[in-house]
Amino acid sequence: MSYPELFAIASAVMAILMIGSGRLRINLLFYAFQTVFASAVTASCGLVSGDHQLYSIGLAILLVKAIGVSAFIAWITKRIGVTSDPGTLIPVPLSMHASIVFLVVAHLLASQLPHLKGQDHSLGGATAAISLLLTGTLFMLARKVAVSQIIGFLTMENGIYLFALTQTRGMPMMVELGILLDVLVVVMIAGLIIFRIKRSFEHIDVTLLTELKEY
Amino acid sequence: MEDSLIGPILLFPVALAVLCLLLGRASRAGLAVAAGGWLYVALLAVQLIPFVLGVGGRLPLLPGLALEKLGACFLLLTAVVVACALSHAHAFFSSERQSASSPSDRQVLLFYVFALVFLLSMSAVYICDNLGLLWVSIEATTLTSAGLVYFRRDKHAIEATWKYLIICSVGLAFALLGTIFLFSASQHGLADGGSLNISDLIQQAPGLEPTLMKLGFIFCLAGYGTKAGVFPLHSWLPDAHSEAPAPASAMLSGSLLNCALFALWRLLQIASGVPGSHFCQEMTLWAGIVTVVAASLFLVRQHGLKRLWAYSSIENVGLMLVALGLGSAPLFLLQAVNHSVAKVSLFLLSGNIIQLAGTKQLSELRGLWSAAPGWAALFALSALAVTGVPPFGSFISEWLILVSSFESRHWLAAVLLLLGLSLAFIAVCLHAGKVLTGSPRSEIEPARTCSRSVVPAALVLVSVVLGLVIGPDFLRAAL
Amino acid sequence: MNVGEWLLFAAVLLVVPILTAGTIRKIKARLQNRVGPPLLQPLYNVVKLWRKGETVSEDATWIFRGAAVINLAVVLVVAALLPWVSFKPGLTGDDIFLFIYLLASARFFGILAALDTGSPFSAFSSSREATLSLLVEPAIVLSLVALALGAHSTSLGSIFAYGAAAGPAAAPVWIVAGCGLFLSSLVELSRMPVDDPTTHLELTMVHEAMLIENSGPNLALAEIAYTVRLTFLYGLTVQCFLHAVYAVAPVGMTLLAVLSVLGIFLLAAGTALLETVTVKLKWTRCPEFIAYALTMGLFACMAAIFRGGV
Repeated sequence: MSYPELFAIASAVMAILMIGSGRLRINLLFYAFQTVFASAVTASCGLVSGDHQLYSIGLAILLVKAIGVSAFIAWITKRIGVTSDPGTLIPVPLSMHASIVFLVVAHLLASQLPHLKGQDHSLGGATAAISLLLTGTLFMLARKVAVSQIIGFLTMENGIYLFALTQTRGMPMMVELGILLDVLVVVMIAGLIIFRIKRSFEHIDVTLLTELKEY
Repeated sequence: MEDSLIGPILLFPVALAVLCLLLGRASRAGLAVAAGGWLYVALLAVQLIPFVLGVGGRLPLLPGLALEKLGACFLLLTAVVVACALSHAHAFFSSERQSASSPSDRQVLLFYVFALVFLLSMSAVYICDNLGLLWVSIEATTLTSAGLVYFRRDKHAIEATWKYLIICSVGLAFALLGTIFLFSASQHGLADGGSLNISDLIQQAPGLEPTLMKLGFIFCLAGYGTKAGVFPLHSWLPDAHSEAPAPASAMLSGSLLNCALFALWRLLQIASGVPGSHFCQEMTLWAGIVTVVAASLFLVRQHGLKRLWAYSSIENVGLMLVALGLGSAPLFLLQAVNHSVAKVSLFLLSGNIIQLAGTKQLSELRGLWSAAPGWAALFALSALAVTGVPPFGSFISEWLILVSSFESRHWLAAVLLLLGLSLAFIAVCLHAGKVLTGSPRSEIEPARTCSRSVVPAALVLVSVVLGLVIGPDFLRAAL
Repeated sequence: MNVGEWLLFAAVLLVVPILTAGTIRKIKARLQNRVGPPLLQPLYNVVKLWRKGETVSEDATWIFRGAAVINLAVVLVVAALLPWVSFKPGLTGDDIFLFIYLLASARFFGILAALDTGSPFSAFSSSREATLSLLVEPAIVLSLVALALGAHSTSLGSIFAYGAAAGPAAAPVWIVAGCGLFLSSLVELSRMPVDDPTTHLELTMVHEAMLIENSGPNLALAEIAYTVRLTFLYGLTVQCFLHAVYAVAPVGMTLLAVLSVLGIFLLAAGTALLETVTVKLKWTRCPEFIAYALTMGLFACMAAIFRGGV
């Protein structure tokens, strides 16, 4: 197992540990770890392929997504005064175990994908990426606090990023930066809306946002 | 010559937005925006019409940016829609001032700024020649239009914005995954290391790895489909369209949905070259059929005026998907133009009616004929135009879509389509009829209707012209 | 049978449990700016209790009297079977499932004895104990099964045998399984995030309330059994981590022996730190914590399967 694969799997494991807690601070901490590992994958891919551009992308991810975004969300949660997420119908521990099953499913799916020549770390990378994607989706479905929705979205985005990193020989830099910027703006806007939701509805439970419906 | 001008023209909205901020007053900015919008349309028309009618197929701009004929048409359509909505917005907001829930000067100013940036992001969609940039532009349209949906800042607007932002972002995340699959497909198949460049991909399509290509298309269909309001993923659309102020609803419905569908068209262009990719077209077709049928069922039991038109937009998106699935770009364009024209008029009129009656509940809207006969006539005509009744343009396009689905031997699809269209027609007529007839719920003072009727009236006229002048040519060419 | 090895092992078995329990208390006290009891306080306690008289509930039967003895006996048998220090001489019959079910039977007698007294506090604490052990058992089983998968044997002796190092690739399995075992032993031993061993409120206790009716020699036996259980569970965890170290860089047997005892004290210090900085979880949130132990076990199994190429 090569280093990129090891880090990628570690990132997926962090996501699984993240989904196992109902405390937003622990979720955020594990999100940060997961993103740090994603940036480690980037750097080690750069080491393997000799592409020095990847070092700077890895650094950007570390600074922006792992530290910046986590700090921003931590600030939101502190300002709003929400500490934990009771979750929806799916109990929190069960969702963690389901996401372990997803890891296995992801491995099976990834082994079906065509293998790209010259990318020896594509299987583990694809496994981790699909697992992150599924875990992020589950996280969004299983939680009801608005902040959790953002964390779930970011986890999904990490999965997609890892997929791009390990399944292709590098996305064009401009596209990569555009994606990073878009995600950042989504998080910023969502963060601002969360404050508004808190002010208008006096909670940030998105399952209770049911003023608009068909009838 | 043209190469050097299109780029700068696209930056025009930004200049206009800066001008708005400098003017600092909503009333002055409104006039400037209306004038600027039409100036933008004129500039684009001067540049693009020779290109569309000319022989050259492709207009390269910067690296990664290029314009094709279909894109040029849509660019123009988008500019027209936004110009219509913005020139109506001035009158709309100044009468909103007199009502109880008056937006502040700053809110209206921000609305104009967001609308202009939104226009820029939509224009960017049509000039992208790179799948990655295409995704970035579409995501940018979500972000900029969130500001429009958020306009009223009350509970409903916040909820609608939140759902819009989250559902579309997640959907588009899948589209990004699909884009990566396509990139991977190109790297597997092509010798030169792969590309995200759409025109390269179309040329080299036979070399793409088919499995990854299909996977990529499925994810993109789900992702961009979310943005377009394809049936199981449409839930954000009625909320956003009914909570945004009327000019914004008009822009969302008349131009934003086209962006997402255009992205799907680019993907289908690539897919059509890959061997064994008939599957992609079939999927698009069936997604369209399901959307039409589901939307027409939703149309039957609607309680909000603008939600009604939102579902009608979903139905039209379904129709456009069917056109895409049939592989016909002209039909797609024709349906898009007809839908945009009629729907913008309808949304703007609905905004007026809601201002007049003070409610958007269908059950409380009655007696429009006696309250405001001018609007009532326009409303009736636009509603008929949107459902595809003969003299109007959408009749031609819907008829052609039906005919070609029969011709391509999609019997079941065609029958379902026919059922959906009839049901939608009946539902819209019933609801519109109730709004028009009866006696008003309360005493409504006659409004100054003139300034707020100009744009809808012009659009209804355009729809008739489309049906009577352009339609027969199309019909003759098709039959 | 090597007499010297057995003598060394017996000495360790006598000394280490007392010192481990003492270490936790001492370090915890120092972290809380208290002087704390001497290291040998657990021993003094046992001696003191042994001298004291005994009060037994009128409703209690022979089960209550016998349970503490059975408990200690089972725990000692397990301690003798389990390779919780690297120099322990091997015995046949050291199967992982035998170990798991011996522990379960010790727990069973403990619960039975608590119920036998008829005290409501003991009753509900034993109900909690049963719930916790039910939840944590899969985690322990999975962590150990992961190791068994790697070694292709359920005998603990051959799983923990040094020498046939599988190379650095085996390290993740050992580490993850060790984490799983550590988290499970915190639950098994009713320690901090699940139960506060120093609490003074019977309503929140699990383990302490089970012993609330025990006094004198009976309590002394229960305390000895607890410290031995603490030691070998920590020892097992330490062995896992040592194997990970050994897989990456093989070290000498003497160093390994020293490390395996030292590791227990390190874990004890870690526990003291954990118990100082964390608070007890709400009872309804305990499954969340145990889920992490189970997750570690599952990860260990997956890593083992993946490595084995199954």
